[in-house]
Amino acid sequence: MTNPEMDAQVHFTDIKKHFNSYTLTSRMNWVLATYEGIALMILYFKLRSTKAPTVKAT
Amino acid sequence: MNENLFASFAAPSMMGLPIVVLIVMFPSVLFPTPSRLINNRLISIQQWLIQLTSKQMLAIHNQKGQTWALMLMSLILFISSTNLLGLLPHSFTPTTQLSMNLGMAIPLWAGTVITGFRYKTKASLAHFLPQGTPLPLIPMLVVIETISLLIQPMALAVRLTANITAGHLLIHLIGGATLALINISATTAFITFIILILLTILEFAVALIQAYVFTLLVSLYLHDNT
Repeated sequence: MTNPEMDAQVHFTDIKKHFNSYTLTSRMNWVLATYEGIALMILYFKLRSTKAPTVKAT
Repeated sequence: MNENLFASFAAPSMMGLPIVVLIVMFPSVLFPTPSRLINNRLISIQQWLIQLTSKQMLAIHNQKGQTWALMLMSLILFISSTNLLGLLPHSFTPTTQLSMNLGMAIPLWAGTVITGFRYKTKASLAHFLPQGTPLPLIPMLVVIETISLLIQPMALAVRLTANITAGHLLIHLIGGATLALINISATTAFITFIILILLTILEFAVALIQAYVFTLLVSLYLHDNT
């Protein structure tokens, strides 16, 4: 399934060199970026819920 | 009737002491250690079977994967012998217990995954994204592949538990139905008895197939990670 020779055949430029769905390194980068994105989202929503002002009973 | 149906799956005890450990250890008694160059018939047949299975199972593995040979062969021997012994009347089958199957599946699966991450970190991480995935689908596919990886040990354990438990339950039910029908209609009881015989033959096959499937899947997970 993963073909190291594919790394040599496919030529990408700019950001696509590090984030495409063909080479082993870029696939790894996409996976790590997805995990980091999920972690950031969880962190954001957690911080938002702690910062939200609580409604005081009158 | 309800209590009797599931009574065979309860952990057995003798005079208040749990004997499940003895039952789990018992199949090893049936596989004596070869002590001579040319052994007796039982050991020779077992050796032939083990060689046949190991050649077929380890053919796909590289040198690293073949270090798991003892583990995989012990696994298939243990599960198949336990399943077959469980088909004896009034016996307890350890592989009907989800706890036991999880205890086998999780460490083996975790071992293969940790081996993969330790020796081939880049390839193991890249495995979560199939080659050629379109850009908009990438995050979703990474999540789906992660979930499918984490579900693997659960599927392994539940598959074995469900297959063996279902077979035992069916045998119990159809056996009970055969007995109940004897006084009502002999012909129907006879037909039900034939179904029981066929089901028992099927359960013999299922016992061996499930052992093979469990071991083969562990072997495939190992192959993906070595």
